[in-house]
Amino acid sequence: MLHADALTVGYDGVAILPPFRFTIGAGELWAIIGPNGAGKSTFVRTALGLARPIAGAIERRPGLRLAYVPQQSALDTIFPISVIDFVLMGLQGSGNVTLTRRSAHLGAARRALEEAGAAAFARRQLRDLSGGQRQRVLMARALATDADLICLDEPTNALDAASEQEILTLIDRLRSRRGAAVVMVTHLVEDGLERADRALLLDRDHGVALAAPSAAMRAAPEFQHIYGRFVARHGHSG
Amino acid sequence: MNPASWQELWANIAIFKDAIWAAGLAGALLGFIGVHVVLRRMVFASSAIAQAAALGVALSFWVPALIDPIGHAAGHAAGPAAHVLPSPLFEPVLWAIAASLLATLVFIANPVRLHLTRESLLGFVFLVSGAGAVIIGDKITQEAHDLAAILFGSAVVVQTIDLYLVTGATVLLLGGHLLLWRALIFVGYDPMGARVQGMPVRALNGFLFVSVGLAVALCTRALGALPVFAFSVLPAMTALAFTARIGWVFVLATIVGAFSGVAGYAVSFRAELPVGATQTATGAVLLTGALLWRLVIAQRDRRRARSQPLSTLPPPERASTAVAPRTDAA
Repeated sequence: MLHADALTVGYDGVAILPPFRFTIGAGELWAIIGPNGAGKSTFVRTALGLARPIAGAIERRPGLRLAYVPQQSALDTIFPISVIDFVLMGLQGSGNVTLTRRSAHLGAARRALEEAGAAAFARRQLRDLSGGQRQRVLMARALATDADLICLDEPTNALDAASEQEILTLIDRLRSRRGAAVVMVTHLVEDGLERADRALLLDRDHGVALAAPSAAMRAAPEFQHIYGRFVARHGHSG
Repeated sequence: MNPASWQELWANIAIFKDAIWAAGLAGALLGFIGVHVVLRRMVFASSAIAQAAALGVALSFWVPALIDPIGHAAGHAAGPAAHVLPSPLFEPVLWAIAASLLATLVFIANPVRLHLTRESLLGFVFLVSGAGAVIIGDKITQEAHDLAAILFGSAVVVQTIDLYLVTGATVLLLGGHLLLWRALIFVGYDPMGARVQGMPVRALNGFLFVSVGLAVALCTRALGALPVFAFSVLPAMTALAFTARIGWVFVLATIVGAFSGVAGYAVSFRAELPVGATQTATGAVLLTGALLWRLVIAQRDRRRARSQPLSTLPPPERASTAVAPRTDAA
């Protein structure tokens, strides 16, 4: 679906991570982990084609449809956007810029909301919802896109435990029912490794860019070096 | 002197109708576009562009005098009828558009590489344009009244060509915006999501910024900088205070903008007040009313929320759901 070889990411022409390779297959869940400022956002921007690699190349399957779920904090609350209008944005794209025939797409938007368990607040304002409800709506838009690869930026950030589980269940549904690959940037290293098929560990300060199966990641010296003391403290030495 | 009556305005409508049409159309156009301006937190952009347009007009007066001072003075001495522009190149509206589009480039430029914010660059454009217009205004005594009219919006009568330009801009730009309003909202609200989904974000932003530049330039030439800034901010704020339905925000902002322009003009005639300032005040009164209404609604909602008994809350269904303890490593 998406393959990179000797990929070097960075900005302003300067590499921030060493070269690495990875291949994202259909239906796979990837966890992108690393400390703050590790280069996770730069990697995501590059993988999604929003920034050019410093070196190497990313090959995307022809016709690959991408979707991005931003962090809740990235959405400006000054905008009066209703839930249904937000989900309808998922149906806009290069082939449908204007969305002039809104009513023709309402059915798809409502189905996505139902699948995300957010149909009850379709007419409410996105900014008025709780963090958990809002995240479900963000997931509904990702469902509406019908994308092959969905990138989620910290989808469980600032959620309570119950809402977090709901979102992780929705992510599983995205993969199992739709066969979509999911790339999830997360600060929940334990949860991320537990659920994901594969993980990408990034750390700009230590010069680490390591892609590995999740099960093998815990044993990697780079992972131990960065997270070993935390994992040991919580009794999850793997 | 007694203030003019409504009957006098109606009796002389043939004289003032161009100005009233221009005010209504400019109010509608800028009211619609202003929703994007307010939502994208760039209200001072229209102010800076309006100032730049005023500087452009001032330059169009001053440059011919600088190039050919004797011919320019002779033109004035021959009287207004004989005073013709030395060349179509010095048509004030062209200079206003050129200066506005130059100022618009500030939006498109990325100031982060200069370690500056966009707001600070807008402040720079505003200050340079404002100071430049005043300094040049001091040099061109003959057209000082015209320049003051542009800076402060005291144009009682609008030239027919300006009305045509404002009408053309309203039809073309408003048409484009009507077609693209959902796309522009998407790219303004979630630019990264829009780019990932293949939306032409750069082209859409370019259309928005250029349309703001053109609308502000043409309307500034016709009405003046102050009402143009007011029309691009106050109607959108009024609409946002009244309704949270995004489609209705655009409709309401357009209506409020047009009403502010026309009603402001009529009130200025009736009370013999400066036109641009009265149009701005009309918009401000409507906004104040909308904010008061918003306050009343918010208080009503709070009262309703307080009066709801706690027992109506749903039972905590998830209380018995076992959730595994989380270990946040990072």
